[in-house]
Amino acid sequence: MKKLLSIISFLAVSVGTFAQGAHDFKINEVFVFGCPKCCKAVADSGYVSGDMFKGCQKKPSFYLDEYGEPASWIEIENVSYTTHNIRNCFIATDKAVLNKELSAPEREQLMSIIPAGDPRTQISGKQRITFFVGNRNRGTLHTTDAVQLKAGEENWIAIYDGNAVDLLDSITIPALKPGQTYARLSCGEWQVCEASEATPNGPNQEYYNDKIREFKEKDPHGVAMTLMCMAVVFSCLAVLFLFFQGFGLIIAKMVNKVAEPVVKPVVHAGERVVEAAKQGTTETKGIPMETYTAVIGLALHEYFGGTHDIESGILTINQSQHSSWADKSHELRQIPLHHIAE
Amino acid sequence: MLLESISTMDFVATKFSDFLTYTGFANVEWPNLAMIAVGAIFIWLAIKKDFEPLLLIPIGLGIILGNIPFKAAGLEIGLYEDNSVLNIFYQGVRQGWYPPLVFLGIGAMTDFGALIANPKLMLIGAAAQFGIFGAYMIALAMGFEPNQAAGIAIIGGADGPTAIFLSSKLSPNLMGAIAVCAYSYMALVPVLQPMVMKLLTTKEQRKIKMKPGRQVSQTEKMLFPIVGLLITTFIVPSGLPLLGMLFFGNLLKESTKTTRLAKTAGSALNDIVVMLLGLTVGCSTQASEFLTLDTIKIFALGAFAFIIATASGVCFVHIMNLFLPKGNKINPLIGNAGVSAVPMAARISNQEGLKADPHNFLLMHAMGPNVAGVIGSAVAAGVLLGFLS
Repeated sequence: MKKLLSIISFLAVSVGTFAQGAHDFKINEVFVFGCPKCCKAVADSGYVSGDMFKGCQKKPSFYLDEYGEPASWIEIENVSYTTHNIRNCFIATDKAVLNKELSAPEREQLMSIIPAGDPRTQISGKQRITFFVGNRNRGTLHTTDAVQLKAGEENWIAIYDGNAVDLLDSITIPALKPGQTYARLSCGEWQVCEASEATPNGPNQEYYNDKIREFKEKDPHGVAMTLMCMAVVFSCLAVLFLFFQGFGLIIAKMVNKVAEPVVKPVVHAGERVVEAAKQGTTETKGIPMETYTAVIGLALHEYFGGTHDIESGILTINQSQHSSWADKSHELRQIPLHHIAE
Repeated sequence: MLLESISTMDFVATKFSDFLTYTGFANVEWPNLAMIAVGAIFIWLAIKKDFEPLLLIPIGLGIILGNIPFKAAGLEIGLYEDNSVLNIFYQGVRQGWYPPLVFLGIGAMTDFGALIANPKLMLIGAAAQFGIFGAYMIALAMGFEPNQAAGIAIIGGADGPTAIFLSSKLSPNLMGAIAVCAYSYMALVPVLQPMVMKLLTTKEQRKIKMKPGRQVSQTEKMLFPIVGLLITTFIVPSGLPLLGMLFFGNLLKESTKTTRLAKTAGSALNDIVVMLLGLTVGCSTQASEFLTLDTIKIFALGAFAFIIATASGVCFVHIMNLFLPKGNKINPLIGNAGVSAVPMAARISNQEGLKADPHNFLLMHAMGPNVAGVIGSAVAAGVLLGFLS
């Protein structure tokens, strides 16, 4: 039974940990490369030309892949404060995966797996990873052709757990103009950003500690902080005080109740031993043998000079040369340690 | 042949003069010497005056070690140089994992029996934390940012590990000065506290005899770390690293089933961590980083914090006595022990009590607020961390 419980507990903990880690991945920013006209040019020519954005009002600049070429990209953030690995998770843009009738292999065909074996898929807490869409042959940070983002149209993007079934996060992005990105803000809302505001691999908003600034503005003298903190410290220790005050009273009552029935029979038994000893009989007369032996032993001890009726009244205390941290006397126990060792 | 030997001599001379540029003599500046003198004073205080030698000797030697001048030539020897041995040791301070380990040891060594026997003494431990927030207000008035002020103010908790833990999170640039200041004042508790205690008490009050505490059962002692952990961390989860380790260490001690672990946590492990902590904290006081106006301000604030903490503990006992029946009054001399300098502060209570009445032993009574102060300062650090990080 114990083994079974241990296994169940272990499994429960393991499953919980896995799910928690995967669910910390959130789509953070999406960039759809080009505009309808440009995308057509890319599709026709197969490469990015310098004249591609000739017709566009403003030529945007792009985040380039390892080959120095621009592409659509999807940024995923680990929103937790713990490092998680995103390997073996899936990225999908085909809504067909929402069909629950599909088997796992069928679903995997519609998605792009994030390969294992690359240390870059290990994402520290509050950090991000960016995947370029397409060109899987260029490395881990590129998706397969199963993932496609269409410029000038609404796109749906999802991340799936390693089993290709559990949806971790999804977002529908509106049709974007060339160079625009769709980014999640710290409040959880999404916003269309211009090219100059795109932040691949970086936070979508500058981080600054609001709390410190707020305290500086609203509590310049520290009075509010003092009141709040002292209230919390007092509350903690007051609750502990109340608990142990109450608990102590209960314990004290229990001790008093228990003490009476234990002490009285022993005293009575001792008196009966003395009575029996005076009669010169060797029978214990129902008195527990250890009580009988203890009383006789104590009497003999006192008879042979073990009495302490008169004490000198002088107590000698030697000043320790050590501090309390190093003093050997602080290691003294009721039962000396070498006795335990023996 | 002659030309060859001249060339060799030239080579030797060049190399030797190059070597000389690496020596401490070639690189020494007066701030280094000043800090080495400070380190030597710490060691002298520890050995000659018996001021907390277990703290001051590692810190004192650390100060000397950290201020040995050398040429910055990428030799990976200095505390602030990546990959140096000292830098690796220093990570325990910088990342804040020495303090919870020290708290583990404190928990394994602390007997909360005195506190459980007289739980109302916990409130004194809470009141003394006002030293932290009094210093916080003064630090703000002196122009420090709220996070820096909090890091400095925690010195008032009289708890070195807590001060290091909080300052490493809130104001890492001031951590060296804060840590040295906290430990210095902890060692100077016998100098700072008695004058405040005498000032705030009358001779009659110092003679108050307190009733001995009741017998505390092992069940209560076992229950204390569990209940304490649950209550304090549910209210202040940000204090989890310190409080968790403190109560864990105490449970190891009181469970009676893990004596070996408690013994290790309270002796060997604690000694190792204290050695490394003291040494690296001392090393972190390199003159270039340490000898600044901010350091002087921090030391001044630290003294204020200790004085306020002591005074608030003693004054709170006076307030408590207003509500307690005549035969059940608390000796205000144990108010100073509300700071968490264990067991120094409790010892001061006892010494001052004996000065007033040679038959009045306050040590065990003072241990109550003293260990409550440990919990209180850890809670206060957790609250500050929660508000400001």
